Amino acid sequence: ATVLKISHQFPGGTATEGDFRDRLCRRFAELVSERSKGTLSAEIYPGSSLMKTNAQFSAMRKGALDMSLIPISYAGGDLPELNIGLMPGLVTSYEEGLAWKTRPIGQELTKFLAAKGVVIVTWIWQAGGAACRSRPLVDVADAKGVKVRGGSREMDLVLQAAGASVLSLPSNELYAAMQTGACDAALTSSTSLTSFRLEELAKHLTSGRARSYWFMLEPLVMSKAAFDRLSAEERDIIVAVGAELEEFGRSAAMQDDVRVAKVYEAAGATVHDLDDRLVQAWRALARDTAWKDYANKNENCARLIKLAMEVGS
Amino acid sequence: MSAHGVDLGHPVVVTAARPGSLTARIVSAMAVLNRTIIVFCSIALIAASAILSYSVAARYFFNAATYWQDEAAVFLLVGSTFMSTAFVQSNRGHIGIEALTGYLTRRGNAIRTFLVDLISLLFCSFFAWKSWTLLHEAWVDGQVSGSTWAPPLWIPYSLMATGMTLMTLQIALQLASQVDGWRSK
Amino acid sequence: MSTLAVGMMYGGATLAIMASGMPIALALGTVAVIFMYFFMPAASLDTVTQNVYEELASITLLAIPLFILKGAAIGKSKAGQDLYSAMHVWMSRIPGGLGIANVFACALFAAMAGSSPATCSAIGSAGIPEMRKRGYSGGFAAGVIAAGGTLGILLPPSITMILYAVAAEQSLGRLFLAGIGPGLLLVVLFATYAVMKFKAEYAAAQRAYAADPAQHPILSQERYTMAMRFGALPRVMPFIVLLSGVMIALYGGYATPSETAGLGGILALALIALIYGVWRPTDLGPILESTLKESTMLMLIIGMSLLYSYVMSYLHISQGAAQAIVAMQLSRWLLLAAILVLVVVLGFFLPPVSIILMTAPIVLPPLKATGFDLIWFGVVMTIVMEMGLIHPPVGLNIFVIRNIAPDIPLRDVIWGTLPFVLLMAFAVVLLCLMPSISTWLPNLVMGLPSR
Ligand code: NA
Ligand code: NA
Repeated sequence: ATVLKISHQFPGGTATEGDFRDRLCRRFAELVSERSKGTLSAEIYPGSSLMKTNAQFSAMRKGALDMSLIPISYAGGDLPELNIGLMPGLVTSYEEGLAWKTRPIGQELTKFLAAKGVVIVTWIWQAGGAACRSRPLVDVADAKGVKVRGGSREMDLVLQAAGASVLSLPSNELYAAMQTGACDAALTSSTSLTSFRLEELAKHLTSGRARSYWFMLEPLVMSKAAFDRLSAEERDIIVAVGAELEEFGRSAAMQDDVRVAKVYEAAGATVHDLDDRLVQAWRALARDTAWKDYANKNENCARLIKLAMEVGS
Repeated sequence: MSAHGVDLGHPVVVTAARPGSLTARIVSAMAVLNRTIIVFCSIALIAASAILSYSVAARYFFNAATYWQDEAAVFLLVGSTFMSTAFVQSNRGHIGIEALTGYLTRRGNAIRTFLVDLISLLFCSFFAWKSWTLLHEAWVDGQVSGSTWAPPLWIPYSLMATGMTLMTLQIALQLASQVDGWRSK
Repeated sequence: MSTLAVGMMYGGATLAIMASGMPIALALGTVAVIFMYFFMPAASLDTVTQNVYEELASITLLAIPLFILKGAAIGKSKAGQDLYSAMHVWMSRIPGGLGIANVFACALFAAMAGSSPATCSAIGSAGIPEMRKRGYSGGFAAGVIAAGGTLGILLPPSITMILYAVAAEQSLGRLFLAGIGPGLLLVVLFATYAVMKFKAEYAAAQRAYAADPAQHPILSQERYTMAMRFGALPRVMPFIVLLSGVMIALYGGYATPSETAGLGGILALALIALIYGVWRPTDLGPILESTLKESTMLMLIIGMSLLYSYVMSYLHISQGAAQAIVAMQLSRWLLLAAILVLVVVLGFFLPPVSIILMTAPIVLPPLKATGFDLIWFGVVMTIVMEMGLIHPPVGLNIFVIRNIAPDIPLRDVIWGTLPFVLLMAFAVVLLCLMPSISTWLPNLVMGLPSR
C-alpha cells in the first residue's frame, strides 16, 4: 500500500468542517483510498506541520514530498513563469479561471509544470479581497497613501503604481501590524481574510463575492516522481478524483466569498462590492505594470500571458 | 566543578595542537580568519538594525514603500549566523550536555571528545556539501526569493555554504589538534 | 515498523547522542539526518539545507539576535550596572528586592520581545552578575532569569501564540489579552518565591556568619537616604527611554513587530553611545561579539531543531502519539491531562513552535468537542511549553544562562529552576480551577466570544 503525504499551510480540520482547502485534501484522501480499495491512502499535514510553505514546491520537484495544495505563485521565485497564478486583473471570474484547464494556457502550464516535475491534480481558483483598518480600498484612487500589504510582487507593483506605500510583512505578523496601525490594509484570499481574524480589526472589506480582480490559482499538485511510481490504475484514480473535486473547490471557494462578507458585516465592518468598471480600472493598471513586468521576464512568461489573455474578458 | 553531576558546555579535554606544528599554524591562521569574519558579522548586525529602523522612519516621514527592508535584514542576519558559527565552535561555544564527563576517566573523556568531534565533522561535512549543491541549483536556475523585491537566493545560500564549510574546517582542525596532542605525548 | 517503535528509537537515539556531549544543534541535526536516511525517501536528503534555510529565513525568528543585541548593549555596558544599582538603592529594604526587580524587568522586556530566550538573554546578561554580586546563589539567580524569561511567549507579543491562533482558528487579539492575566499571576508567584528564597539564603548566611564571621555579601546592610535615592533615579533614565521608545513604536503603530527588534537595537546602541560614550569599535566589539556568540549558538539550535521536527513530523511520531491519546476516548479532564503530559514530554526535545505545529491540528478538535475554551487552552499550553524551556535536555533558556554565566554548574541551574517549574505547574492548576484568570481580560475588552 502507498501512503501519500499531502502538506499544506492552511488550518487543519475534518472532512466536513474547517478551511475548505483542508477539507478538499481530506476528501481526496477518502475518495482515493475508497476507489483503490486501500492500496492508495493519504496522510494530511495541515498548517505547515510538515515543512515550511516555501519548501513544499521544491520538495515535490525533488520527490521528497508527494502532494501539496499550494498557491502556485509561491514557487514564483524558483520559476518566474508561475507568478501568472496570481496576476491581478488577469482572471476576473471563476469561469474564466477554470476554463484554463482545457484552453491552450492550461495545457502550456501543465506541460511546463510536468517538465519541472510537478503534476496538477485539481484546478482550484480562489477570489480575494482587501481588509482595511480605517478607510476603504475599493477604487484605484483609494490606494493613494495607504500602507498596504499586497502579498505578492505583482500586486505590490499595481498598488505602488496606484500610489500606495506597500510594506512586506510575514503573514503571521499581519494581525499585530493591523492592530497597531503599522499596516492599514491587506489583500489576500477570501478564506485567509477570516482565518487571520482580520474582521476584528477591519472597518471595511472589499469583497470578492460579486466581482474581483484578485484571483489566485492554488491547485492540488503532485510530485511527478511520486505520480510516475504509481501503477496505471492508481494514476487513473488520482486523475479522476482530482478532476471530480474541481466542482467542490469552486463552490466552496464561492461560498467562502459570501461567508467572509457576512462575517465582516457581523463584526461591524462595511462591505464593498466591486462592479465591472472598478475591475476594469484595476485590470488596466495591472496590464501596464504587473503584466508588463511579468512578460519581460522571459519568453515563456511572454507566451503564457498572451495565451491567458485569450481566455480573458 | 562537580565531579559527579551532569554538566554543560565544558569539554574537559581541550587539546591544543603542538606549538610550531603544521596544525598549530593552520589553527592560528584560522583564528585570524574567524576574527576578521566576526568584524563583518558585527557590522551586519548593526546594519540589520539600522535597515529595520530606517524602514520605520521612511514610512513615517515619507510614506515610502518598505518592501525590501525585512528581507535585507534576513539576509544579513542569516549570513552572520552561518558565518560566525565556526568562530563560536573555535571557543566550543555550541553548547552541549556533558552528562558523561563526571563518570569517565581522563582517557575516557579524551576518546569521547574525539568521537563527538568526529560525528560532528561528518554531519557538518554533509550539511556543507548539501549547501553547495543548493547554491549551485539556485545559481544555475537563477532562483530569486518570492517577494516583491526578489533578490537572488545565491546570496544567502553562498553565506550558508561558506559558513558551514568553515565550521567543518574548524572541527577538522580541532580533531587534528587532538591527534597531534596525543602523538606528542 | 510501527510508529511507536520508530518514535521510541527516535527519542532514545536523541537522548543517547545528546548525553555524549555533542553540541545540541549538531546532535539534533545528526539524529534527523540518520533517520531521514533510513526511513524517508532518498530525495529527502537533498532537501535538508533548504528546509533549514526556509525555517531560519523568517524575520520573526531572526528578530531574536536583534533582541539579544539590545540586551547586550545595556547589560554589557555600564548602563546595566547603573540600572541595577539604582534599583538596589530603591529596593534594598525589601527582602529579595533585586530578584523581584529582575522578574519585573523580564516581564517588561517580554512585552517587547516575542521569544523567551531573547528575554532571558536581555535581562540576564546584567541581572545574573548583579544578583550574584549581592550574594544571591548562582542557582537562585539563574532560576529567576530562566523563569522570568519564559514570560516572553506568555505576554504579548508572542511568536508561539501567533502560530497557535492560526492553527486553532482563534482570535490572536483575544489570545494575547488572555495571556496577560496568567502572565501577571506568574510574575506575582515568581516574586513571592524570590522573597522566600532570599530570606532562606539570608538566614543561611547569618548562620554561617555566626559560626565563622566572614562577611557574606548578602548580609551587607546599606542605608540609603532619600537624597541618595532620588540621586540614583537619573541612572534609570536610559532604560526607561529605551523601553518607552520601543513600546511607543510597537503599540503606537509606527513599527511592525520585527521592525521593533531592529529599532530597539539601534536605540540601545545610540543611548550607550550618548550617555556612556560607548561608540568606539573597541568598546562596541565585546558587546557585538557576545551577541554573535549567543545568537549564533541559539539560532543554530533553532534551525536544526526545526529540521529535527520535520523528520519527526514526517515519521508521524508526535501526531501518532496525539492520535493515540484522542483515540482513548478519555473523559474531559483526563483528556486535558493526557494532552498536557504529551506537551511536557515533547518539551524535552522540541521548542514550543514545533510542538504547536505538530500537535495542535490533532488535539484541538477533541478539546473543542469536549467543551474546552480554546483561547484558555492556548494559554495553558503556552505555560506548559514554557516549562519545557527551563528543563533539560533541550531547554533554550538554560542554554542562554549557560552562555551568560558558564561558571554556574548545571546542577545548580537545574535545582535553581525546579521551584519555578513547580510554580508554573501550580499556575496551570489554578487556571484549570479558575479559567477567569485568563478569560476576564479578553472578555472585558472584546466582549464575550461569539463562537
Ligand atoms: Na512577549
Ligand atoms: Na526542555
